[in-house]
Amino acid sequence: MEGWGIIIIKIVFIWTWTLLIATLMTWIERRGAGLIQDRLGPNRAGPFGIFQPLADGIKLFTKEDIVPEKAHKILFALGPILFALPAFSAYAVVPFGDKIVLGGKEIILQVADVSVGFLYIVAIGSMSVYGIVLGGWGSNNKYSILGGLRSTAQLISYEVPWGLALLAAVLLYGTFSLRDMAFAQQGVFLGFLPNWGIFKQPLGFILFMVAAYAEANRVPFDLPEAESEIVAGYHTEYGSMRLGLYLFGEYVNIYTLSALIVTLYFGAWNLPYVDMSKFLGPVAYGLASFLVFFLKVAFFLWLFVWVRWTVPRFRYDQVMGLGWKSLIPLALINLFITALFVQFTA
Amino acid sequence: MARPVVKKEFSLSDRVYLIEIIKGLGLTWKHFLFNFRACFRPGPHTVPTCWQYPEDLREIAPIFRGAHMLLLDEKGREKCVGCGMCARACPAKCITVKRGKVQEGEEGKYAGKTYCAEFKIDMLRCIFCGFCEEACPKGAIVLGQEYELAEYTPEKCLYDKARLLANYEKAKSEGKLKPARKPVPVEAPPPKAAPKSKPKAAAKKVKEKEGTKQA
Repeated sequence: MEGWGIIIIKIVFIWTWTLLIATLMTWIERRGAGLIQDRLGPNRAGPFGIFQPLADGIKLFTKEDIVPEKAHKILFALGPILFALPAFSAYAVVPFGDKIVLGGKEIILQVADVSVGFLYIVAIGSMSVYGIVLGGWGSNNKYSILGGLRSTAQLISYEVPWGLALLAAVLLYGTFSLRDMAFAQQGVFLGFLPNWGIFKQPLGFILFMVAAYAEANRVPFDLPEAESEIVAGYHTEYGSMRLGLYLFGEYVNIYTLSALIVTLYFGAWNLPYVDMSKFLGPVAYGLASFLVFFLKVAFFLWLFVWVRWTVPRFRYDQVMGLGWKSLIPLALINLFITALFVQFTA
Repeated sequence: MARPVVKKEFSLSDRVYLIEIIKGLGLTWKHFLFNFRACFRPGPHTVPTCWQYPEDLREIAPIFRGAHMLLLDEKGREKCVGCGMCARACPAKCITVKRGKVQEGEEGKYAGKTYCAEFKIDMLRCIFCGFCEEACPKGAIVLGQEYELAEYTPEKCLYDKARLLANYEKAKSEGKLKPARKPVPVEAPPPKAAPKSKPKAAAKKVKEKEGTKQA
């Protein structure tokens, strides 16, 4: 068991790291959007505009904090907090590397290796809808409440295929712990493929991806904040750092979901065909596992941005239809096949 | 003619949509890569679709209509005679001209017998139509290539004679003077076009008449 000091250091590290990535993502998204659309994007603050998030942060902090006169004051204040809090706490059970040995002590690169990490993720993931719907209700604005309601319906619908895809992965790996799932993906599969989840669960991966985009309220499922229909959705009335919390929470959610996809389907910190722990020292191996994991996550972070500027938004009934009529039956079939597979090979 | 709408039957791969999304991702990636590479090219104006304004100025056509200037002739005399034609022609009524008579001993300064004692242009009202330039009988007022005309106070946007002459000096030193206008032919247009258009019009009239008769 690790001491309290190490745990606190790990918490602080992953907290600042996610915050850093979330702030950077705001810049990467705008720059990426610009380059994809034949524009330039923010390129003035610092080299290539990399300090743009800093300038945005200063602006958000120094802006006037406006609360609408007829808003429900408590719910209005509670909304962003309830949205950001689960987003930040969800990462606690997701690993960010294997382990690092410092001074004879083995430090696991994960805040808490709980045996029910999977359930914790599902529970915390569905918490974030409270922030959206309370913020939307508290704003006393028709667009806000519409955004909040849309978000609720969408999150509830997509939680089902999301959970079912996760369940198939749990069946496959035979564990609830995300760290053990990462260990289960070492080695090769069928003699030539890396032993990654995507090769064993291709359908599950696609379902999980689609549901993850819906969970994060990202394009093509950004119905709750559809600019062209309902102004800005649930954060129409929000400004200054309250809005900042909503935006930060969204990017932190994206980071957690990307890390989850990598952990479940892309072998976490394992490289294909190469076992890094064989020829790297304990400290170097820890850093290398962290780096490999982060590079994989970075690709999915970029994919979130990339898809956003490629795919147009779905109509609302299409979103619901896709969720209930396609994804849930497919997820059930996937679960059934996985169960058969596990039953007959075990 | 409007074309009839043909509804396309979607194949299974179209309806699954994932393959289409991957195709779309390929397209956006192409754009991203092109612009990303363009960002690292040396020199100004690297990204072909964007002009980064303060560093990256556009080429301006010689006949561009920017800030005004009052011209001097080749002997260094003011061309303007203060007739006020420009003020008359101005649709925005932004030009004020006062005429003055050239005193003896001042002939080296002014080209005509009269001159403009006062010449003011309110740049806040000007619409840069160029009518003053066309109206001027002496070719004394010209719209130049200068277009960065923002000032901190509205008073500074009231250009006086000294400012307009300074504009001329600046344009001359930068070699941005407008090329001389081609002389406009004063005679009637050549008679070639006239007979061609007449029979057509006549034929049209005949047709119209026939049409009315039939109706």
